[in-house]
Amino acid sequence: MKKILVVEDEKTIRNLYKEELIDEGYEVITAEDGLAGYELFKKENPDLITIDLKMPNMNGIELLDKIRKEDKDIPIIIYSAYNEFTQNFSVWAANEYLVKSSDLTEFKTKVKELLLS
Amino acid sequence: MDSTIKKYEDLLRRYNILNSISKIVASTRELNKILGITLKGVTFGNGFGFNRAMLFLIDERTNTLKGKLAIGTETAEEAWKIWADILQKNYSLEEFLSLDKLEDEKSSTLNQKILCTSIPIKKNGIIEQCLDDGNPKNVDLTLNGFTDKEFIIKDASVIEKEIMDLVNHPKFCMIPLICRTKKVGIIIVDNKYNNREISREDCIFLMMLGQFAASSIRNTIIYDELKESLNKLANVNYQIKLLKEYNENILESIPLNVFVVDKDFYITACNKNFSELIHLPKSEIIGENIRNYNVKISGYDLIEEVEHVLTNKDIKVFKNVKIELFNKMSESTFDFTLVTLKNSKENIDGVIGILEDITKTVNLEKLLEEAKRFSELGKLSAAIAHEIKNPLISIGGYANRIKRKYFQDNEFDISNIEVVINEISRLEKILDDILYYGSEKKIIYEHMNLSLLIKDCIKMARVSAQLHNISITLISEENYLDNEDLIIHGSYNNLKQAFINLLNNAIEASTSRQKISIDSKIVAEDNKNFIEIKINNEAIIQNEKDINNIFTPFYTTKIHGTGLGLPITKKIIEQHHGSISVESNFENGTTFSVKLPLLSENGHMDA
Repeated sequence: MKKILVVEDEKTIRNLYKEELIDEGYEVITAEDGLAGYELFKKENPDLITIDLKMPNMNGIELLDKIRKEDKDIPIIIYSAYNEFTQNFSVWAANEYLVKSSDLTEFKTKVKELLLS
Repeated sequence: MDSTIKKYEDLLRRYNILNSISKIVASTRELNKILGITLKGVTFGNGFGFNRAMLFLIDERTNTLKGKLAIGTETAEEAWKIWADILQKNYSLEEFLSLDKLEDEKSSTLNQKILCTSIPIKKNGIIEQCLDDGNPKNVDLTLNGFTDKEFIIKDASVIEKEIMDLVNHPKFCMIPLICRTKKVGIIIVDNKYNNREISREDCIFLMMLGQFAASSIRNTIIYDELKESLNKLANVNYQIKLLKEYNENILESIPLNVFVVDKDFYITACNKNFSELIHLPKSEIIGENIRNYNVKISGYDLIEEVEHVLTNKDIKVFKNVKIELFNKMSESTFDFTLVTLKNSKENIDGVIGILEDITKTVNLEKLLEEAKRFSELGKLSAAIAHEIKNPLISIGGYANRIKRKYFQDNEFDISNIEVVINEISRLEKILDDILYYGSEKKIIYEHMNLSLLIKDCIKMARVSAQLHNISITLISEENYLDNEDLIIHGSYNNLKQAFINLLNNAIEASTSRQKISIDSKIVAEDNKNFIEIKINNEAIIQNEKDINNIFTPFYTTKIHGTGLGLPITKKIIEQHHGSISVESNFENGTTFSVKLPLLSENGHMDA
């Protein structure tokens, strides 16, 4: 079973993503900020990571940078409440960048595609 | 008897000489020529026949005599040679005087000497006496004891040393050069080589000649001074003219409206700007009394204010005022200054009025304030929207889950939960708009084909237009928008949002069977090429307030609008250095015009 790390500070959204991804048949681990996310990445060795852009204690960009320095291949999805990431070229280190929506269809499709490739 | 005849003949001859000299001297204004002719006349063999003659002029500034010219030779041999030469040729006086011998004389040792001679006028010295009593001084230092000869000086102690050194002869005669009361200089003559006695008659004739020479010299000096001061005066006048011109140029070029009134309120001057401001030619303004203009400064009476400035000798500034002239209020806003006009003696001649048109500044300030307000509003909205969005995503996300997991078979429940889901997605759309408008993100520009973009947008818009039975036509499909070279520098996604917003707006404004048409053309402005796209619909915006606020954030006339669609469009167009405007009338309906700069041939953006 593929293991997905969800890094998201907003609890309800974290749980929503977790439940939706479990429904899709993945093992899901979650972290509530960038720092915790990095520790889980080191410890749990996930197959895919989804990262929120705006987080306390190490934001999404910092976490992305840190992970990419150690692992160039792991699929990473960055998302944000609005498309603010277009301001920052660093997000290009991620495989996908999405705007948060209550409709998770696109999110789930991207996860599936990235894990297949 | 013979001697008497001889004496009269002699006198006549001398008068003739004097006459000739005076005629020639009177004909010239050149000082050097006058000096030369005078001394030549004195030394002419058939005339006075003095061996040597020296002329000094007074330098009033230093109270000294300055040697100017000497005629005669330094040595006897030299003298005999020259005189023999002249006698042999038997010149007449006129010939002799006009003879260009002067240059030779000037280079003589005596002349060189005299030019270097400067004699301070000693108290009670011979020079002072001579100039004070106006009489000739006949010096004969060889005489001892009593003499009855008139004008004879035998006392060497009164004679300035410089004269003794220069003349170096015990017998000579000093003639004062006095014009009326003005002391001009002296002439010294002697007969060093033939040692002829200087007689009383000699003295009298010399005095007559001296008087004549003095007035000629004096006239020449006055003439020169006059000429010089005339030149100076002309120069001063010229400078005054330049200064005036310079001041006028400044007055004309400054971007201020300036007028000057005298103490009786007559306009004495104004600049071009002022004349343009009140739409009257300068010629009709100057000399006019401002009482006739009935000028009000935002309610204040100009006459009273000018009177106030005149009485209190101060300055009065009216900020941000409108000017009322001939009972018409100005459209422009001014800063109006009244200040006293002082002349060079610090007396007040009148009042200067300065009107500075600050309309542009005021308008810009207004715009800036507005922009700031919207920027703050945008930021605040974005902050709020950001906070709202996360819970909204959770609500929507869970609603979706509920729908999927629990209401799969029950149609009533599904339609109920779908209302929740749809409303949430509408809220999300509103928040996205607010976040977009409030964000200050940079646009990532690329070279993009605008015609493809427009066609894409039309294709998308047609889907919803057809639902409402509205047609969309691209008028110049064959022309500009089909042109593959219609390349601009921009963000495809952002511009797409801008045009989709415009098309959606047009669709929402239209009713069934109405038409939306899109036209385009290339326009040149300030040597730059722009593509102008006009999106027209048949609906009319009747309320002027609605037109004026069409790009104002959160201003909406629609029930479901966020009031951000058109402001976002405007923002995107302006980020692309373009412009957008709207027009609505009964004939043509409502038209939005978007202008975007085209890439120039060298690949650079024109704007």
